[in-house]
Amino acid sequence: MSTVSQLNTAETLPFYEPQGHEIELFMHAYEHRLPVLIKGPTGCGKTRFISYMAERLGLPLYTVACHDDLSASDLVGRHLIGDGETVWSDGPLTRAVRTGGICYLDEVVEARKDTTVVIHPLTDDRRILPIDRTGETLQAPDNFMLVVSYNPGYQNLLKGMKPSTRQRFVSMSFDYLPAAAEVEVLLNETAVDKAIAEQLVILANGLRQLKDQDLEEGASTRLLVYTATLISTGFDPVKACRAGMIEPLSDDQDTIAGLMELVQAAFGRTD
Amino acid sequence: MEERVGQLWDRFITRMAHQGHPQAAVKLDQVSGPLGVFYRALGGNSALRISATTATLHQARRSWLHRVAGTGRKAELAWQDESCLYLPACLDLFAEPQLNRDLYFWLAALAGTPIAAETLPDTSWIVESQQRTCQALQRYQGLRQRYQRLVKAYIALRPAPASLKYDAAAQERAIQQALKVPGSVTELPDGKYAPAPVALWLHPDAPRCGGQAADGEISDRQASQGETRQAEQRRRQAERVDKPDEQGATLGVRHEADLFSFAEFIKMDRSTDEEDNPDQAESIANDIDKMSVTQDNSTVASRIKFDLDLPSAQEDDIPLSEGILYPEWDYKKSRLLSDYCRIIPMRSRHAVDAELPQHLQKPARRLRRQFESLSLSPQWIRGQYEGDKLNLDAYLDYRGSVANNPSGYTGDPRLYCQKRPLVRDIASLLLADLSLSTDAWVNNEQQVIDVIRDSVHLFAESLHASGDQFAIHGFSSRRRQHVRFNCIKDFNETYDAGIRGRIADMSPGFYTRMGAAIRHATELLSHQSAEKKLLLLLTDGKPNDLDRYEGRHGVEDTRKAIQQARSQGLIPFCITIDADASQYLPYLFGVQGYTVIRQAEQLPKRLPQLYMTLTGKLYAG
Repeated sequence: MSTVSQLNTAETLPFYEPQGHEIELFMHAYEHRLPVLIKGPTGCGKTRFISYMAERLGLPLYTVACHDDLSASDLVGRHLIGDGETVWSDGPLTRAVRTGGICYLDEVVEARKDTTVVIHPLTDDRRILPIDRTGETLQAPDNFMLVVSYNPGYQNLLKGMKPSTRQRFVSMSFDYLPAAAEVEVLLNETAVDKAIAEQLVILANGLRQLKDQDLEEGASTRLLVYTATLISTGFDPVKACRAGMIEPLSDDQDTIAGLMELVQAAFGRTD
Repeated sequence: MEERVGQLWDRFITRMAHQGHPQAAVKLDQVSGPLGVFYRALGGNSALRISATTATLHQARRSWLHRVAGTGRKAELAWQDESCLYLPACLDLFAEPQLNRDLYFWLAALAGTPIAAETLPDTSWIVESQQRTCQALQRYQGLRQRYQRLVKAYIALRPAPASLKYDAAAQERAIQQALKVPGSVTELPDGKYAPAPVALWLHPDAPRCGGQAADGEISDRQASQGETRQAEQRRRQAERVDKPDEQGATLGVRHEADLFSFAEFIKMDRSTDEEDNPDQAESIANDIDKMSVTQDNSTVASRIKFDLDLPSAQEDDIPLSEGILYPEWDYKKSRLLSDYCRIIPMRSRHAVDAELPQHLQKPARRLRRQFESLSLSPQWIRGQYEGDKLNLDAYLDYRGSVANNPSGYTGDPRLYCQKRPLVRDIASLLLADLSLSTDAWVNNEQQVIDVIRDSVHLFAESLHASGDQFAIHGFSSRRRQHVRFNCIKDFNETYDAGIRGRIADMSPGFYTRMGAAIRHATELLSHQSAEKKLLLLLTDGKPNDLDRYEGRHGVEDTRKAIQQARSQGLIPFCITIDADASQYLPYLFGVQGYTVIRQAEQLPKRLPQLYMTLTGKLYAG
């Protein structure tokens, strides 16, 4: 079994700004072979965290971005037509179970219902993956870990996770980073200067206060990084904010007008 | 002739004395949408509405011109209280429209900026204003440029200190200094008069409802019909005063009365005043500085408006139980007051079996067809022995299993997909507002209640055709102890002539205690086994009731009830015909959780469409 002693050294790791004790918690979950569920708003760093942890634990990472059409066979595998015959091809989940590694189902609630049935036996103490089509039952090795994520804030509550599924995971909540840490992220990820990064973060936190009332979702760290990238390459800050933060968040003209006033309050008027 | 000259002179001198620039005026209505978003994003309280303020008296010395013209005694300044952010209805201070617009946003920024905790409540106005300014400028650095431009333009409009007398000049200097370099002035020098009002700061002494505020249960008051007009109206200063001891102290016996200005307080018993001229009242209210009202337990409303009293037990609907207690959210205490409201489920006493009203027959037929086809909208079912198309995946699996089993095992050849009707598993509860405000007229022919009734009829017809489970209830309230929950159709009842009769019998009365009704509806829905549960609220206005449920308390309680419904997996959705709904509904239901029907007449047609879109989206999404 991989243990904490086999960890990669900090120098080779990608940049990750911890929010709390999530790294420690993840380590413990891994050591005790517990599946993990990560909740949090869009673009707050869930996927980045998993890549970081996979790197740190030295495990291969199989990421599946779940969508409406993702079915169980997309995860487990299917027969394909080969050279005059049919060949079985493993899906990402099966591959992870066979070889060990982290299988990360991003936005798992987006996937079709039958996928939940497939992951259930992997999440309890049996840790098995039955494959009906080939008649196999795979036993997950110790270095296999199942991680799923979803965004509970979506208005589309119908896609919430069933309590019976939720209760099979060790769960952790992610939120947007504290202002100072988010500034660090921007400075690390982009070539933007500190004053601009600080204003961007203040602006994003303003936008996040509008969630559920004027906006469906607050500005994500990802959008901030996009905007900062635009600005750092010499693009006008106000226009960059419009393209990178405001337009992606709303279609309502009044809301956009109000948000643009906020952008101008942060960066001054350019007209 | 004299009169004509007088009028001309008055117009001339008033215009001379007015320092505004009407051609550059920006109205609050034009900017209130973006302004609200801006204010909330800066940290302003999201429960607050934006409303126009009234002019308030200031004690500053007026200019010679103002005194000649008899104007300039009042100023419109911004302030906020627990329910509204008040801003001038129109700004024409500067010659450039952009500056006037900027001033709106600057005032919203000042009001929205969270003030540091160390600011003590007894901090003077000048210090607090500077602190707010500094805080806003520090957080949003792009505001600096805008602020500097505003200050520069604004100081030019203020009296020059050199032209003022000693104490007034010192005050003016302090204010100008505080505007130019915020944070540099620690106190305002004393003076004989107050300094001229500062349009770039919030109100020095925000008007509040003083006197004896009526708390708890107040006696009968007229139902707030047409309450939504409030948003267009200016905020008026009000105070509550004691009721005059003697009846009949009228102006008639006081010949010097016309020497008084409107502001002077004369204890008058207006409760039996017969004249009813709303137009005149409106203009008087605009002129008056402070309106004083008193609580009188025997108002005309209670004597004449019998309809607000509960009907006698023989006449009233049949209560189905003693009542069920529900909590209510107290936002000031941030906790639920347990067992606070009593929901009384009721069933109509006078309802008789009825057919669908004639004018709804045709739309109902069309809707039934639409909904029937909706319920039959087919879906591909896989894993069939026969069907319309071959499932390639299944075929390959089958081939694979045959190839891997040379013994000749052929597996289970369910290789086809078949089209089958979609089985929907939805339970919907329609909750209709039956408060007295629905008694209002929409147009010359229809009242709000007629529209609601027609909508419910069509909704029921449509849902019956679709086969979805549904229930219909109405609600109204008279204080917390009597929240009427009219059962029109239970989930387990079959839709028939009896139900149609109950819909036809829906009638308006009482008030709108929305939170308790939503909690009860949530409870009813949570007992349904359906996969998706929809709670539709059909209303014409904001929550309100006789007691403190009016205003912020009601809105916060309703919001809490909706959050609770959502946490139980329900989908609350509001359909309203209140044109001002965008002021408060996003706060209650979220930006996607409601729809406003601009013309109430469209509601019967729109409601089923909405239902289709909503449930369709739920399934597609």
